[in-house]
Amino acid sequence: MAEPTARPVLVTGMDVVTGSGRGTTALAEAVFTGTAAFVPVDRFDTGARRAKLGAQLADVSDLLTELTGVVDGACTAAGLTAADRAATPLLFAGSSDRAAARPDGRDRAELAAGAIGARLAAATGLRQALRSYTTACVAASTAAADAAAMIAAGRADRVVVAAGYLLEADRFALFDSARALASDGRMRPFGAGRKGMLLGDAVAAVVLESEASAAGRSAVPLARLTGWGRAGDAHHVSQPHPQGTGLARAIGLALRRAGLAPGEVDYVNAHGTGTPASDLAESAALHRALGPDAARVPLSSSKSVHGHTLEAAGLVELAVSVLTLTEGRLPVNAGRPEPDPACPVALVTEPRTAATRHVLSLNSAFGGANTALLVSA
Amino acid sequence: MKTVNSKLRTLSSAQWTAGSTPPAPVPGFIISSFSALAADVADRCLAERYGTAPAPAERGERTAVLLVSPGGDRGTAQAVAELVDNGGRLSPLLFFQSVPNSIAGRITAHWGLTGPVVCTSPAGDPFEDAAELAELLVADGDADEVLVLVVEQTPAGESERATAVLLGAV
Repeated sequence: MAEPTARPVLVTGMDVVTGSGRGTTALAEAVFTGTAAFVPVDRFDTGARRAKLGAQLADVSDLLTELTGVVDGACTAAGLTAADRAATPLLFAGSSDRAAARPDGRDRAELAAGAIGARLAAATGLRQALRSYTTACVAASTAAADAAAMIAAGRADRVVVAAGYLLEADRFALFDSARALASDGRMRPFGAGRKGMLLGDAVAAVVLESEASAAGRSAVPLARLTGWGRAGDAHHVSQPHPQGTGLARAIGLALRRAGLAPGEVDYVNAHGTGTPASDLAESAALHRALGPDAARVPLSSSKSVHGHTLEAAGLVELAVSVLTLTEGRLPVNAGRPEPDPACPVALVTEPRTAATRHVLSLNSAFGGANTALLVSA
Repeated sequence: MKTVNSKLRTLSSAQWTAGSTPPAPVPGFIISSFSALAADVADRCLAERYGTAPAPAERGERTAVLLVSPGGDRGTAQAVAELVDNGGRLSPLLFFQSVPNSIAGRITAHWGLTGPVVCTSPAGDPFEDAAELAELLVADGDADEVLVLVVEQTPAGESERATAVLLGAV
């Protein structure tokens, strides 16, 4: 069973690019003021789609270039030397390049997700990419959990986790075809009448390491990754368990590893996609795992600001969770949601300050895959 | 045939190679063979261990599913690409099967497996990486057993193969 972690895991550097802008400062300003980044998507033709908006950042480069930028940024923030990088493995979360599905890309092995991770490690001077996580919306959070597990068990002293998704026509069309996107242009997680999600650009990277590793450089940690949990619903191909059973167990595992009681969670960064069934299941999971505290603990989905960034979601939201601790402010659930009595959670709908010690970050995906991360000051 | 060499104990296994009887389609999944291959080897591997579904509850709740695939579901991705590029109408079914964890949901629901669900594209050898990650999941404590599925679709689908191995703590 999951046991309290004997070897703490520190966050010593991070960098992000999202639809809200470049860098953690831009992301912080957006999520703490509830300023949504949604604009009409013009990177590809949306004429045949019901939804038109996304958190699209102007002037983005290709994915590998953008990923290289945030890995460099996170490593620099952590104070890593070239020698430090050369000793550090990478876990990447992302999908294969859509060019791999086109006739002239089908034989290009370098377009596979695993190969993109390997190219990113080579481009940034990291030791090697161990693998790429492709578990959709829990890909990055699973990578972070596995990196933490490696460090906590002494299998690694330091791991860089990176993730990326940039808006493109294929997945926009897929989500639109199933009416998963908010055709009214309003992403309002946990709100009455919510119509679905909006997608967003994101690349993100974090440096995770042991205390001894950080102390060797006199690095000042931003936060600690104190708990993590992964569990499945065993329920359906694409629908979450309506009682949120898998997510609740993931939360329980994360609390157990962190040695925390439900009442010690100060804020929840929810998965909160704004789809009716998913938000309902997440609310149920929180009540199942946290008991009466579920109705008390402040909660928001920062996706309402930066959009759903798919394979990158867990890492962007880990960055938001760290910022919540370091800035003493709570992310706003944007979209002006009206309360939904079926989702009895304490939504943060206005900017506010709060001294937080422990933040719970949640993610769920198709196939009933769920993760919970606990980030502590 | 290559398989997963792990420090964990192999409890059961199943394989599918090109030329074998085509796997039965999975209801709700269309066009691509990826999900049928994964379900076929998973079901045979688990049937060898447990007979009929579901797995005993005390086992199922401690069993993870790890789906390893270098190129992912190429068949579905290619079908989507063709429709998007040619202005065709996408079936919502393609959305529901567009990520590898979808078929993991069918397998876990059928067999009652509620451990972690993880999908990867390895940077190196898929079997070696599957073994390493399965060992990490068990050592970390979120699972006692891991159903490893390695599914490889080639660009033109000419030499597909799939392997399932149920690994357990020694």
